[in-house]
Amino acid sequence: MRRGFLLGALLLASMAWAQMMNDQSPVVMAPIGNVQVRAGGSKSLSLDFRVGSEYHINSHTPKSPLLIPTVLKLTPPAQVTLADMKYPSGQDMSFPFSPDEKLSVYSGDFSIETVIKAPAGTALGSYPVRGELRFQACDHSACYPPRSIPVQFQVTVVK
Amino acid sequence: MKRNALVFVALFVAILAMLASGKYLDRYRKHGPLNLVGDVKGVPAPDFTLVSLDGNKVKLSDYRGKAVLLNFWATWCSPCKVEMPWFADLQKQYGPDGLAVLGIAMDDSKPDAIAKFASEMGVNYPVLLGTDKVSDDYGDVQYLPTTFYIGRNGVVLDKMVGLGDRAEIEDNVKKSLNTVYRPNGPPQAEAQVKPTTKDSSKDTSR
Repeated sequence: MRRGFLLGALLLASMAWAQMMNDQSPVVMAPIGNVQVRAGGSKSLSLDFRVGSEYHINSHTPKSPLLIPTVLKLTPPAQVTLADMKYPSGQDMSFPFSPDEKLSVYSGDFSIETVIKAPAGTALGSYPVRGELRFQACDHSACYPPRSIPVQFQVTVVK
Repeated sequence: MKRNALVFVALFVAILAMLASGKYLDRYRKHGPLNLVGDVKGVPAPDFTLVSLDGNKVKLSDYRGKAVLLNFWATWCSPCKVEMPWFADLQKQYGPDGLAVLGIAMDDSKPDAIAKFASEMGVNYPVLLGTDKVSDDYGDVQYLPTTFYIGRNGVVLDKMVGLGDRAEIEDNVKKSLNTVYRPNGPPQAEAQVKPTTKDSSKDTSR
């Protein structure tokens, strides 16, 4: 019994570790709990992301049109709306590959704010919001192709 | 107890291997084999036909007999911008000795935008529009810049991932120029580098 449990735990742990190694993303999102909003009301929501220590990504407003901005796209269900998405300002930083040039980037932790609104009369219940964060990451000497990570959370409309 | 530990380790390794092979097979089904993975030195450079910014079809094998610096880059890659003027200088300096620099733009931008960017970087060599196939053939080029140094015999001498040191890049160019070309032979299984002489950049084999 005990041996079976250990074996199962080892299997799960190794699969999770292998999956993580196979799909390391330079950016990860902090989990969001169930978001509650009153019918007829609104609620501010902060979506928190972390850029891996050796990486940086372009901010939402990079300094060149050729650079790929960080963009959060969310698709709410018909019952709720999202408004006032606010991106943080980028940090102006220079890097060893181009010490004379400043790039507008996010590194470390950053948050994107939005407001969830549930119109009056919205049926009470739980609704999924899905979307993705698109970004393009570089490290001190190379850049990665643009990629997206899924963003998903649950909104519960209450009385 | 010792036996149990061995079983656990074996299972762990087996699962890792299955996941890794699953990922590889998934990619294989989508794009075909990844040719240049791992140590690429001495491997014949996969031939390709790509469209250049001026609309011409360019084949790598058309450059047999020349030393080729094959640089994967993109307009959104800031480190790539540092190398491109160096490559232009090297093309100017070593072009008469048989160097051919080829840029492959791994970019979703329109060719006009890529051409404008390349012009601003002083690029004086052909820029080709990259494809998933050429990326996969060269080992799934994900990090940019990535540069391959190909000898006159069509064999990869070295691969540099990320922004390189200019002196190191020039050394690789010289090594590529010093390879032996056999006009009627296939790409050699192993690079044949001529002994370095005082004037090693001059080629007499053509």
